[in-house]
Amino acid sequence: MSALGLETLTSCFQGLIPSMFFTCAADGTPNAAYLSHVDYVDASHVALSFQFFNKSRRNVAENPHALVRVIDPDTQQGWALRLRYVRSETEGEIFDRMALRIEAIASYCGLKGIFKLRAADIYEVRSVTKVPEEPGLPVVSDRRREQNGVFTMQALQNMAVRVNRAHGLEHLLDEILAGLEDIFGFTHSMILLPGERPGTLITIATRGYVEKGVGAEARFGEGITGMVAEARKPIRIAGLMRGMLYAYAARFRAEEAGWGPPQHRIPMPGLVNPASQLGVPLLVRGELVGVLCIESEIPYRFHEEDKVSVEVLGSFLAIAIQNAVMHEAAEGSSEPRSAAAGSLPAAMSAPPVRRREVSFHQADECVLVDGEYLIRGLPAKILRKLLLAHVTEGRTEFTNRELRLDKSLQLPEYKDNLETRLLLLRRRLDEKCPDIRLVPAGRGRFRLELRAPFGLVERP
Amino acid sequence: MIDEVLAAFLQEGIAIHLGTRNAALEPNGARAIAARVDGDGQHIEVFVPDVAVGPVLADLRDNGQAAVCFARPQDDRACQVKGVFASARPATQAEEPMVAGQWRGFLDQLAIIGIPGESTRPWIVWPCTAVRIRVTAVYSQTPGPDAGKRLS
Repeated sequence: MSALGLETLTSCFQGLIPSMFFTCAADGTPNAAYLSHVDYVDASHVALSFQFFNKSRRNVAENPHALVRVIDPDTQQGWALRLRYVRSETEGEIFDRMALRIEAIASYCGLKGIFKLRAADIYEVRSVTKVPEEPGLPVVSDRRREQNGVFTMQALQNMAVRVNRAHGLEHLLDEILAGLEDIFGFTHSMILLPGERPGTLITIATRGYVEKGVGAEARFGEGITGMVAEARKPIRIAGLMRGMLYAYAARFRAEEAGWGPPQHRIPMPGLVNPASQLGVPLLVRGELVGVLCIESEIPYRFHEEDKVSVEVLGSFLAIAIQNAVMHEAAEGSSEPRSAAAGSLPAAMSAPPVRRREVSFHQADECVLVDGEYLIRGLPAKILRKLLLAHVTEGRTEFTNRELRLDKSLQLPEYKDNLETRLLLLRRRLDEKCPDIRLVPAGRGRFRLELRAPFGLVERP
Repeated sequence: MIDEVLAAFLQEGIAIHLGTRNAALEPNGARAIAARVDGDGQHIEVFVPDVAVGPVLADLRDNGQAAVCFARPQDDRACQVKGVFASARPATQAEEPMVAGQWRGFLDQLAIIGIPGESTRPWIVWPCTAVRIRVTAVYSQTPGPDAGKRLS
């Protein structure tokens, strides 16, 4: 440990509890202001976020002496750090890390591009002392750390066992999210995979949300998942609510920034009031396989020291997901074996409930069921093809291979992601129109099951 | 300097910090537990725990320069009062309910942003020293483009 002991105070640098920043102008006028964030740089330096021109910043340019007070969210012990302004950075690792966090919060509030980091101001820490009026609770700290110390080797091993046991992509994704809850206690999570359009992610599996949100799209740079995808770095936000309040206090509103949800868009799943978020890029040899996002209503759920464990977990999950995708794609490309014995004719296997109207909108390439948006893009075109084949030829059995060979679907020759699109379509149908089901029938085959009559309508 | 609306905000039970500086222009700061605005709006009194008042009081007696930051955690509405030290005295027992009331208001604010009140239980909030400051300026500090704008 260094003489200052700054490295033992990393919990203080989460932005959960506002920090106080004291400076003094060259003419001797003191200044006191709240700070959104103090970042740990190394054992003798911290970085303060510079978002707006203000008096504090002018003061340190004239007189480098400063004092910042931070509070440890585990113990509530207040600490006073005597600082000396060194320099401002507008690029590099420290700047990128701080900017990413601020932009993730801004993006969440619809303020991206407006509420951003101008510079990371680097300060030398000259002394660290306890604040006498804010003594802490060491007992609480130990208990909380024990409760939150979830990323143990044993837990990671248990997760690995669970993941290795999974068969098929769908089962794997569900096992990952179930494992995150059962083993680590994360009750709200989601996995997004690269979307059909470049620069987008599509929600493929979620857990813990009333609205499952499968099919919801996030653009790169939008929200925590989009920010993770863009930066290809994990983002951990403790005290998200505080950050959002700070952003809102900047007097902008998402509507005023001109942001509006596009037509036919599935809302992103998520907690109404997330207090902590953790987004992890799922990378294999630099390729983005997907993004894992975990949320919590507990303000300080994810600790700095968890980050490495989460990254390790992320790379392991990324390989598992990529393997499952490749395996299913290989199976779906080959000539299918004979259909599983005993498979029943599926169409109309249940008594009809009510007639569903399935409309395909050519301009948007999207499908609506009874006027409600279901899905768009390739999954929409696949559904149209399957229903047409059923109407005209009475078919209920299909293969991935025939979809792959169908020119009308315009699948890319390289990495068509057909299996993930089929999974997406299946899950959207399960959620929004369970009367139409796609049931896997083994090795690149699936069955169309209809529990209600439908009318297929083409619209311009 | 401070109208009734602003006075109500300063006294509603929010985060308060007193900033000072020493002869070497090095800043000092302490948490205040409560504040009271004079009827004429020309002076404020901030109540600083005795355990914390030493360094800031020494600065104030040395050069008189004071800055008091007020912020409401739930919406980050904030302002800063600049002023000159007038006097200091021990807070009286009669003032304790007012001080305690404002502190409870602040703890309620912390609860809104997810920090439970019991976690700050060990913080020392009494006895206090009442530091009287003559107000010379008030600035907005709500984050955003208007931060730093002079209010009076």
